[in-house]
Amino acid sequence: MNTVDEILDYAIDQEQQAADFYADMAKRSEKSGMKEIFQEFSREEERHRDKLLDVKRGEQELTAHQQVLDLKITDYLVEVETTENISYQDALIIAMKRERAAFRLYSDLAEKVSEGDLREVFLGLAKEEAKHKLFFESEYDDRILQEN
Amino acid sequence: MSLKDLVSPFFVWQRAFEKPYTVGLRPIEERPGAPAYRGFHINMSDDCVGCGSCYTICQNHAIDMVKVEGLEARSGDSGLRPRFDYGRCCWCGLCIDICTAGSLRMSNEYAWFTTDPDEFRFVAGVENKSWQGSTAGYHRHPDYHLFPPRRVEMEMLGPGESVSSFTEVVKGYSEEQAKQEADRCVECGICVATCPAHMDVPDYIRSIRDGDYEKGLQLMYRTNPFPATCGRICTRRCESVCPVGIQGEPVAIRWLKRFIVDQVEDSDYARILPEVADDTGKRVAIVGAGPGGLSTAYYLRLKGHAVSVFEAQSRPGGMLRYGVPGYRLPDEALDKDIEYIRSLGVEIHLNHSVGRETAFTSLLEDYDAVFVSTGLNVPSKMRIQGEDHPRAMAGLTLLDDVANGRDPQIGGSVAVIGGGNVAMDAARVSRRLGAEVTVLYRRRIEDMPADTEEIEESQAEGCTFVTQAIPLEAMDAEQEGKVVLKWGEAEMVPDPGGGRPRPVLQEDRMHLDTFDTIISAIGQGSNLDYIPAGIADQLQIKWGKFIPGDYQQMVVQKLFVGGDVANATADAISAIEDGHHAARGIDRFLSTGQRS
Ligand SMILES: Cc1cc2nc3c(=O)[nH]c(=O)nc-3n(C[C@H](O)[C@H](O)[C@H](O)COP(=O)(O)OP(=O)(O)OC[C@H]3O[C@@H](n4cnc5c(N)ncnc54)[C@H](O)[C@@H]3O)c2cc1C
Ligand code: SF4
Repeated sequence: MNTVDEILDYAIDQEQQAADFYADMAKRSEKSGMKEIFQEFSREEERHRDKLLDVKRGEQELTAHQQVLDLKITDYLVEVETTENISYQDALIIAMKRERAAFRLYSDLAEKVSEGDLREVFLGLAKEEAKHKLFFESEYDDRILQEN
Repeated sequence: MSLKDLVSPFFVWQRAFEKPYTVGLRPIEERPGAPAYRGFHINMSDDCVGCGSCYTICQNHAIDMVKVEGLEARSGDSGLRPRFDYGRCCWCGLCIDICTAGSLRMSNEYAWFTTDPDEFRFVAGVENKSWQGSTAGYHRHPDYHLFPPRRVEMEMLGPGESVSSFTEVVKGYSEEQAKQEADRCVECGICVATCPAHMDVPDYIRSIRDGDYEKGLQLMYRTNPFPATCGRICTRRCESVCPVGIQGEPVAIRWLKRFIVDQVEDSDYARILPEVADDTGKRVAIVGAGPGGLSTAYYLRLKGHAVSVFEAQSRPGGMLRYGVPGYRLPDEALDKDIEYIRSLGVEIHLNHSVGRETAFTSLLEDYDAVFVSTGLNVPSKMRIQGEDHPRAMAGLTLLDDVANGRDPQIGGSVAVIGGGNVAMDAARVSRRLGAEVTVLYRRRIEDMPADTEEIEESQAEGCTFVTQAIPLEAMDAEQEGKVVLKWGEAEMVPDPGGGRPRPVLQEDRMHLDTFDTIISAIGQGSNLDYIPAGIADQLQIKWGKFIPGDYQQMVVQKLFVGGDVANATADAISAIEDGHHAARGIDRFLSTGQRS
């Protein structure tokens, strides 16, 4: 990944993979009501992909220097398995963990590259992932942690 | 015509330049009303809740409650506002004295000139009048009330006494106290609209004033076959909107309901309450003997349908039996409600789990309709490290153990995690088992979903509350048989999306505390595994809850649902209303074969 376009292609591919992952979960899920939820997750990832496509076409910009709230919910949750019988809580945990891993990856890459413009792209992508994580963490806070 | 007749009109001109004998058109500037004069009405429409007490008390029929454009009825506000008829008003001020919201007063203006007599009927505070902003005129003195602002105090066990046993904490009103409390009701009926079951509150309260408790019981059973239960543990949304509570304390509706039920012997119920109709030959299966299932059973049985209830547990009552502890709802009170339903010929098959003893599909095949109200009985997981530690347990398990007479062996110090009613019950039960209790909750006290009364009583009984505390991990303690809880402090941070503030862990403020038991009570979900996939796929289910159509019916025609597993409010009265509503739908379905 040496150019901005290559980085964006990689990130776009990652979002597409996530969308495919959730679409597959939707197909496999046996628990009532979970199919629709995974389909919604998949659409959410497609929205992320589309935003990056816009960025690549120069129609939108990534903002590397904005504050994104970190609720720190994901960090202390255990890993869960992706089974056909998965609950909404566990589905959210999977989504939060995936976004957190992506955030980590782009943050690390930003540290490693020396070219300023590439770093900005990685930082911008990291912020995007932080926003995605916040989206799922807020949902977890609202729905799963209602009484906690 | 004489000459005198002809010229006399001109004599009037003789006086044209003399001082007039009549007053001018603007006397108010010259002779304003006294400061406390009872002049034209002022209503602060935003504060008014349209309770209609002014309308009721007015002896001259000078007030009508009318619909106002742009103002919709909502919980706690009828959407109506008083219209005054100055052809009738005698300026007595009773309407001001009774006004529950304190929104009504009088200005000291008294002159109003118009050629259109209809204008003297006006909706104060809605039609723009010059005196609406006036501060002078008659106001009720804040210390003067037509009804006592404070409710008759309920006698309860003191905190020291209450934690020493599972005896019911609330003692109940005496007849004299109940009558006194019933006297505070202004019969506005605002509560009726808000109560999920639309119980006829003002009329059953009146039955107390009249000393006619049998009438009160009849009124309650029209929409709620669990009055002994609800008279103790109802979430009482009615009280939260009772306008008597705006300037004082709301009428103690829940305690008055309990009082009525306590006055009538079980043995008299059959004589007082409606009889079962002739057999229709139709059979209905009900899954779950909680308040949802049993309410449906009651109203269907009254219509003459044969009702079989299937219940996995060994006693009926659902979460009212296995969740709500005895010091809030003793078994005898719950049994008074349930045994009456049973006595009408409702069959309850106990220890009978649908999905295990009987297949769900066979119910659909063998019965004319099926009602499902299986509740929420799977404790939510925290999904933190060490959650399955041998010294960690779910709040529901603790409550279930205690309800079944088992000793949950929690030891001398427990941490209860959560801020809902289950957490409060787990905490108070732990106190009764002799433990020191620390309640940890990730947000602030004011964010707790638990009933304020429950929070206060938990505190009074000696539970320590640690708020903005996030549980992170449970681990082995050095000492055997104990557990260490790692938790961190949180700061409340505004939600970027505009929602309620969110707790954010502060990683530099971590704590390790040792307990004998950690009890997690952070919510519960449903178990719908008894519904085979082929059927479940057709049903609308979200977040583990059914989404029913009209009359609680699902797309599978014969299937109706209700209670915690189908509503967002998850309290007893909502389950009862779902059951009543479903029973009407099922009855229609059985008699017409049509969708509701
Ligand atoms: C600790 C606690 C405290 C509460 N406090 C209050 C309170 O103060 N006020 C209030 O209004 N509400 C309170 N609630 C909530 C209230 O108990 C519920 O809203 C109410 O019981 C819901 O009624 P339901 O009929 O929907 O379900 P439930 O009461 O849960 O009954 C469902 C029944 O279905 C049975 N069942 C489940 N699956 C099957 C199956 N496959 N086959 C056969 N039977 C099955 C269960 O065993 C259970 O008996 C409390 C709940 C808890 C847990
Ligand atoms: S209890 Fe309160 S809300 Fe209900 S009728 Fe009486 S005064 Fe009105």
